[in-house]
Amino acid sequence: MSDATTLLVVKDLATTFQTPSGPLPAVGGVSFTLKENETLGIVGESGSGKTVLSRTIMGLQPRRNVEVTGSVLLNGFEVVGASEEAKRAIWGLEVAMVFQDPMTSLNPVMRIGKQIDEILRVRLKMDRHAAKARAIELLELVGIPSPAERYGVFPGELSGGMRQRVVIATALAGSPKLLMADEPTTGLDVTIQAQILNLLQSVKDQMSMSVVLVTHDLGVVATRTSRIIVMYAGRIVEMGTTRDVFARHRMPYTRALLEGSPKVSNPSHTRLLAIPGRPPNLLDLPQGCAFAPRCSFATDICRKERPELEPSFEDGHAFACWNPLPVSQGVPA
Amino acid sequence: MFWICVGWIALNIVGAIFANVLPLQNPLFQNYASVNAGPSLHHLFGTDDLGRDIFARVVYGSRVSIEVSLGAMLIGFGLGAPLGMLAAYRRGKFDSILTAVMYVFLAFPAIIATIAVLSFWTPRSLLKIIVVVGIASVPLVYRVIRSATMNFASRDFVIAAKVQGATDRRILIKELLPNIAPVGVSFLLIGIATVVTLEGALAFLGLSVNPPTPSWGNMINESLSILQINPWLAIFPSLAMCLFLLSLNFIGDRLRAHFEVSEAKL
Repeated sequence: MSDATTLLVVKDLATTFQTPSGPLPAVGGVSFTLKENETLGIVGESGSGKTVLSRTIMGLQPRRNVEVTGSVLLNGFEVVGASEEAKRAIWGLEVAMVFQDPMTSLNPVMRIGKQIDEILRVRLKMDRHAAKARAIELLELVGIPSPAERYGVFPGELSGGMRQRVVIATALAGSPKLLMADEPTTGLDVTIQAQILNLLQSVKDQMSMSVVLVTHDLGVVATRTSRIIVMYAGRIVEMGTTRDVFARHRMPYTRALLEGSPKVSNPSHTRLLAIPGRPPNLLDLPQGCAFAPRCSFATDICRKERPELEPSFEDGHAFACWNPLPVSQGVPA
Repeated sequence: MFWICVGWIALNIVGAIFANVLPLQNPLFQNYASVNAGPSLHHLFGTDDLGRDIFARVVYGSRVSIEVSLGAMLIGFGLGAPLGMLAAYRRGKFDSILTAVMYVFLAFPAIIATIAVLSFWTPRSLLKIIVVVGIASVPLVYRVIRSATMNFASRDFVIAAKVQGATDRRILIKELLPNIAPVGVSFLLIGIATVVTLEGALAFLGLSVNPPTPSWGNMINESLSILQINPWLAIFPSLAMCLFLLSLNFIGDRLRAHFEVSEAKL
């Protein structure tokens, strides 16, 4: 793993929206790297900035009222500040995206085959027959039964799980090096979720891509990522290998997240520990650590000064906390 | 019922196109031997006060109505639809300014503007009527298409197409246009119906094509002075217009219902 080449370098990335009530720092100073063939999980509550982060990495932000600073180096291409024209060249071919809701991420009036064809014909300059053959191949790759017949159906004729497979096929069409999956299973049945996640993993291996898996569900990232970033209020509060984050986390927020997700090993009727309070208002962030108002370990310094991300163990583990949990206190996954 | 309406519209259009080759009497030929005659085998709808065959004039009259409505809608949709789509897709200043301008036009009663322009822009011709009515319809088309596009422009599949590297033009034409087409078609039918009525109103005020060219509106206008002697001259063009509009509205309604259902299914 250590000698694999780096695909993505994110440095001091900040995304600030200009709103009528003032600047809103949705992402504030995020840095991390992603290697080839690696799967990175980004977890956090709703509103923690994970979706904005993933879209900023793609260079996908509103045309107006947004300021992006820092750097996103994707396979040598600087995304921040690049023109639409320049980004269009990498979109689809270098980086592709799988969306949350397969009900809205496919064009309802276009045959699914055509939606996969599009990129093949326009971007890869394939002729009609080659594109169709490839599209059917992709449909087969994502596990759609009788792909040749399904090529001509409309999205409305498919179930949610099947549609999400089609969405993945469209994302794979350009053989991207990086696949951004933003809550790819949130809109799906639990039984389908595992299938889609397994599918993502198998296509990642087959096509040797890197995957960024954005989710609020720790169960999703537990077995399928090699590294995890935990976000809170637009910042990374802990990151490291999946193993370390689950077993040896130092940040109380990470623990709170883990305690808040159900485990099969718990006896039935175990109460889940909810995190008290609500995520902070990004327009009015507390002076110190953003998690301090909800944290049972908070002390004076937590309310005064924001902790920086500090390296802790090997393998790039780091956390931002003044009162970290002792190493032994981790909850095993 | 739907197909009867479609058939009726088709019949009208075929009649308008092939009026000269159909076995009709000359709509301009004045036969003073039989003026204000009632319907008979020789004159199906009777004759007017100058002895002209009303049936022939109704068929020829549909030409003006259809030409004006299609021509005006061509201009209205040709300008209004692309602008509306672009504004909804781009948003920002472009949208704000354009929409503000359109709303100013909308605030001004179109019929009065049309009457004013046509009164001064002489000599009148079919083309001038088409241009004036067409331009008057642009803000209406713009508003409908803009809101229809806005409905889709923020959906994920547009972003998905974008991150596949599709250009804005491609997104507008390939992704958005097919989605708003149902709305566009329904509104087109309503638009045609409105323009047919508008032509009737203009003709009634003597602002449509110059006599003796027949149009439904012209004929109704001419019938005014002889309404008591010969009601047929008023009845038949009115009936023709009425059935034409009824069919259009019915088709529009059915299409909208059909598309709404398939939308809900998705």
